[in-house]
Amino acid sequence: MENGNIIEVKGLTKKFGTFTAVDNISFDVKKGEIFGFLGANGAGKTTAMKILCGLSKPTSCEGYVAGFDINSEQEKIKHHIGYMSQKFSLYSDLKVWENIRLFGGIYGLKRKDIAQRTEVIIKTLGMQDWKDSLVGTIPQGWKQKLAFSIAMIHEPQIVFLDEPTGGVDPETRRKFWEMIYDASEKGITIFVTTHYMDEAEYCDRVSIMVDGRIEAIDSPKALKEKYRVNNMDSVFRILAGGALRQ
Amino acid sequence: MWTYLLEKEFKQFFRDPGLPKMLITFPLMMMLIFPFAVSMEIKNINLVVVDNNQTVTSGRLIDKCVKSGYFRLVEKSPTPERAQYLMDLNEADAILTIFSDFEKQFEAGNELPVSIKVNTINGSKGNIGAGYLSNCIRNFVKEESAGEMASAGSNIDVSTKFYYNKYMDYKVFMVPALIAIAITMITGFFPALNIVNEKETGTIEQINVTPISKSVFILCKLIPYWAVSFFVLSSCLIIAWIVFGYTCAGSILTLFIFTALHIMVTAGLGLLISNYSDNAQQAMFITWFFMMVFMLISGIFTPISSMPLWTQTITYLNPLRYYADAMRFIYLKGSTFADIWYDALGLFVIGSVMMGWTILSYKKSK
Repeated sequence: MENGNIIEVKGLTKKFGTFTAVDNISFDVKKGEIFGFLGANGAGKTTAMKILCGLSKPTSCEGYVAGFDINSEQEKIKHHIGYMSQKFSLYSDLKVWENIRLFGGIYGLKRKDIAQRTEVIIKTLGMQDWKDSLVGTIPQGWKQKLAFSIAMIHEPQIVFLDEPTGGVDPETRRKFWEMIYDASEKGITIFVTTHYMDEAEYCDRVSIMVDGRIEAIDSPKALKEKYRVNNMDSVFRILAGGALRQ
Repeated sequence: MWTYLLEKEFKQFFRDPGLPKMLITFPLMMMLIFPFAVSMEIKNINLVVVDNNQTVTSGRLIDKCVKSGYFRLVEKSPTPERAQYLMDLNEADAILTIFSDFEKQFEAGNELPVSIKVNTINGSKGNIGAGYLSNCIRNFVKEESAGEMASAGSNIDVSTKFYYNKYMDYKVFMVPALIAIAITMITGFFPALNIVNEKETGTIEQINVTPISKSVFILCKLIPYWAVSFFVLSSCLIIAWIVFGYTCAGSILTLFIFTALHIMVTAGLGLLISNYSDNAQQAMFITWFFMMVFMLISGIFTPISSMPLWTQTITYLNPLRYYADAMRFIYLKGSTFADIWYDALGLFVIGSVMMGWTILSYKKSK
């Protein structure tokens, strides 16, 4: 942490039987940056991310997330991170404010703080009209924005976003990235996976995973220069084009 | 943290399209339909009489049998062949043949010339029918010759007296057992679907990424089922009281204590199955399997003491054995906690194992 890294991973490997989903990857994430975690489907992004969040145990790994050991202090890490899964995972049979209240409660916020943050979230998202709707009935874009806000309700140091903009319209995507920038400005580190290469351009640094390994890690600008192309889409094609797992 | 999670569980329960309705319907069905349906009392035995005597006395015997309420007189057949024909058609369960010297022998005080023939395709109906029929004849002899017998005075009168269920009413015997079944089913199946449902919708992941402790999470899943079981128990007791006039002979508080212990087992088992299942179908089938086994070797329908020894040994692992036993003892006999402490112990031990196992097997990370 002294060197400004909020995540440090060395030799992260995850095997499922004989299949190696994540193959000995090492990387650092700096405090406060927006880190893009790219890769084709099946490259091992979600698996690696779940290990960092403490949802999955690594086969072997050394490293720290928010200052806590990945192997032995998974529950401590959980106090300091937020996570938004690829699959929408708020309670669809609870109302918007009930979901906020529930997760606020689980993270141990005080009743007063929960009420205040509920107010702020609903106002910021402009969801006054949806407040009393069951989450299952609101449109996809709103659900994603709500899930992101709830992932940050306890003011974590890092937020992990697994394909947060999958299946949402371009306008909502733009607003979603505004939210990511707002969070980043508050000093929250963003760790995001995406398949949209225009979004990759918004990141401070990106890594590109191919077949369980990290093939490249740098700022989008540096990567484009290195491969002599003018957009991230081409960088991705050059690197992930040779992937065996498709 | 507790209150928020409990609030969530209760809200989800009441917002479910099916569960609250089930919760109302189940006790109603259990108490209003099944006490009649699961009766082991045999009634409506089809009786054919061949009366070769045709006297007032033989007429009175037939009358006596029909009036007992257990038999339905199909017909008085003129010949034994006709009666046998009816039995072959399965229209007669029993044939009572009265021989031509019936009245004479009866007046002489000799052995009665009657014969009973039963159809034992349905074994228990046949046996019990034969028993009822000979009972009727015995009573008939006793009543008809009451005067003479009294003067003879040397006979020993053996009479049977039934305790705790004076009129041998099968329904009252079944009511506490049916309550036990209703509670076991509801608090077994509902939780089995609970965690697996969170797995299927993906919400479990959002929970697992929080620092919540496993035991808090599981206990918050369990507590609502205590409420559910208390509701089912109360409504069943009230229905039994209003409809049949049955009341609990023992303390209602004891009933509730045993129910609370039993829920640790059933809901614990349900949540445990839920932990190991990937989808609702798996959870349903596995729960169903356990429920069947629990019920068949619980002593609810057939007495445990008449099972082979090895089956009896297995029943010690069956929580429903202890619970159903306790329910009957408290409800019918008025047993106190001290009388049936062994049932409480059985439930407590199995329940603790279930809860411990459930919490341990719940994995926040794979």
